Amino acid sequence: MNEAAVPCPVEDVQGDNRWMSLHQRFVLETKEREPEILFVGDSLISHLIYTDMWETMFAPLHPLNFGIGGDQTQHVLWRLSNGELDNIKPKVVVLLVGTNNHGHTADMIADGIMAVVHLIRDKQPQAHIIVMSLLPRGHLVNPLRQRNAQVNELLAQKLTLMTRVQLVNTAPDFVLPDGTISHLDMYDYLHLTPNGYRKVFEPLHDLLLQLLAESDEADETNNAQSLLHKGP
Amino acid sequence: MRMVLSQRQKEELNRAIADYLLSSGHVDSLEAFKREADINGDVDKKYTGLLEKKWTSVVRLQKRVMELEAKLAEAEKEFIAGAPTREKRSPTEWIPRAPEKYILSGHRAPVTKVVFHPVFSVFVSASEDATIKLWDFETGDFERTLKGHTDSVQDVTFDSNGKMLASCSADMSVKLWDFNTFECTKTLQGHDHNVSSVTFLPTGDFLVSSSRDKTIKIWEVATGYCVKTLSGHREWVRQIRVSPDGLLLASCSNDQTVRIWLLSSKECKMEMREHEHVVECVAWAPESATAAIQEATALAASSSNSAPTENHKKSNLTGPFLASGSRDKTIKIWDVSTGLCVLTLTGHDNWVRGLVFHTGGKYLLSAADDKTLRVWDLRHRRCLKTLEAHQHFCTSLDLHRTAPYVVTGSVDQTVKVWECR
Repeated sequence: MNEAAVPCPVEDVQGDNRWMSLHQRFVLETKEREPEILFVGDSLISHLIYTDMWETMFAPLHPLNFGIGGDQTQHVLWRLSNGELDNIKPKVVVLLVGTNNHGHTADMIADGIMAVVHLIRDKQPQAHIIVMSLLPRGHLVNPLRQRNAQVNELLAQKLTLMTRVQLVNTAPDFVLPDGTISHLDMYDYLHLTPNGYRKVFEPLHDLLLQLLAESDEADETNNAQSLLHKGP
Repeated sequence: MRMVLSQRQKEELNRAIADYLLSSGHVDSLEAFKREADINGDVDKKYTGLLEKKWTSVVRLQKRVMELEAKLAEAEKEFIAGAPTREKRSPTEWIPRAPEKYILSGHRAPVTKVVFHPVFSVFVSASEDATIKLWDFETGDFERTLKGHTDSVQDVTFDSNGKMLASCSADMSVKLWDFNTFECTKTLQGHDHNVSSVTFLPTGDFLVSSSRDKTIKIWEVATGYCVKTLSGHREWVRQIRVSPDGLLLASCSNDQTVRIWLLSSKECKMEMREHEHVVECVAWAPESATAAIQEATALAASSSNSAPTENHKKSNLTGPFLASGSRDKTIKIWDVSTGLCVLTLTGHDNWVRGLVFHTGGKYLLSAADDKTLRVWDLRHRRCLKTLEAHQHFCTSLDLHRTAPYVVTGSVDQTVKVWECR
């Protein structure tokens, strides 16, 4: 059994129940808000809220951000199975998770991500799904970088046959020619700086605008077709 | 336009294409292309992603250029045409001008609604912080906070003489407030979900509310009893407004329709379907706007038809007219006698959230999630003025019936007072 692909809540080792409180807040938000874009994932997603880009570029698109720091695929799977995808009908879901899957192989992580993708597809059949490829990590060359790269390769194969699901690699090459990652892009060699966020998420913003425009066109075509059918 | 590339540009384009083929894994095509385009060796790193970059940046730059041109045109117009001075302004012509007169902060969550008092120089604001605040728009002073709701306050409204205030909330209740003592006199329970909108009948003896429970309820003010529940909308009802003569009720909904109800028989008279997304707000046109709408529709007919027929030359639409604003970014004006959409105003770049007709009948004012307040010239069917009103979504606006003021509320938690000239 692949534990990366089996829904599981985070164990509250510190005893303040923060993870569950966050999850409950997200579920409450699904009941009050009407998002057109949903961001799901770990800290790389949750910290996006505190960038200028979020205010200027993403907030106007009516998003919700369901990122929780440290989350692994099985945790996101549990959250999404327990209310975070109910009551809402986003046009696009953006997913970035997997780099925190400590002790899991690339195969396990890729299958974990695929389990999340299938769950989103199941609960939100109308939505475009954008799977963001995992970012490299660590100042110097290390096994986790290779693992994340392998996950991306596996995902590329697994996702080819699915419709309206897109694996996107919007990240520039964060690994410099000498094999290091700069703290100017990732301040702790894992999390993005504002500069790093701009590099990864500006192209994503363009893609979102494109997808939203396409989904509006699709709506119009559908309306036009239903009118045609109703016609004499 | 004919495009000609220089030799060097052609070479660069070829290399960018080669890089694109390589990065997309089109290996066979790449080999063939390299042979035909005479490219030797590997493609230089500097071409990495170049084609995609050009593809996307053109769109981004076009958008930027259009925004800048629109801003420039607006600035030029303001500079050349200018605005009338305070002394020369006329109530039928005045429109809000930047900068704002006051920025009022105090709410601790997004502002959902702003409404002027019909008599005193005050207005109220409702917020997701569950409170209602009262402000003096002449001095910019904060007056008081009305507390009682336990969740987001969604709408507030005054009766015609301003003695009573009604509010509704996500706590599923409607509250009536005495505007002399500022006490909550009644709490009306009955909706099964978030109450989205509330309004008095002109006589003041009945109150209408709408809800996410898909219904509209009519309440007797004296007793607080619900006397009628109107069903028909298939989704969340967003807003309801009573026509000035008190005969018709307009409602709009997440089901993308606008409905007109007869208040005498409490029956749905028609369903108007043309918006392509949730309809957020509706506003009845005053009698004074009839001429402008008739002229606008006559113009529209003659400009869209190369050979206008006799009955197109002069619009004989009778109204009453209703405006609706939607998440599809458009504002539509409907002739309620026929149920036909007679005008569509486009220009907002995000969800349209609030509408109010100008007292003089020449203009329609709107607030939207593109953070702007816009003034629409009805006769010419165009946006006359755009004010960059807030830092975040502009959720609501109101125009004073007699004094030269507009107020706006926003998700940025502030309320702004704008002076008209």
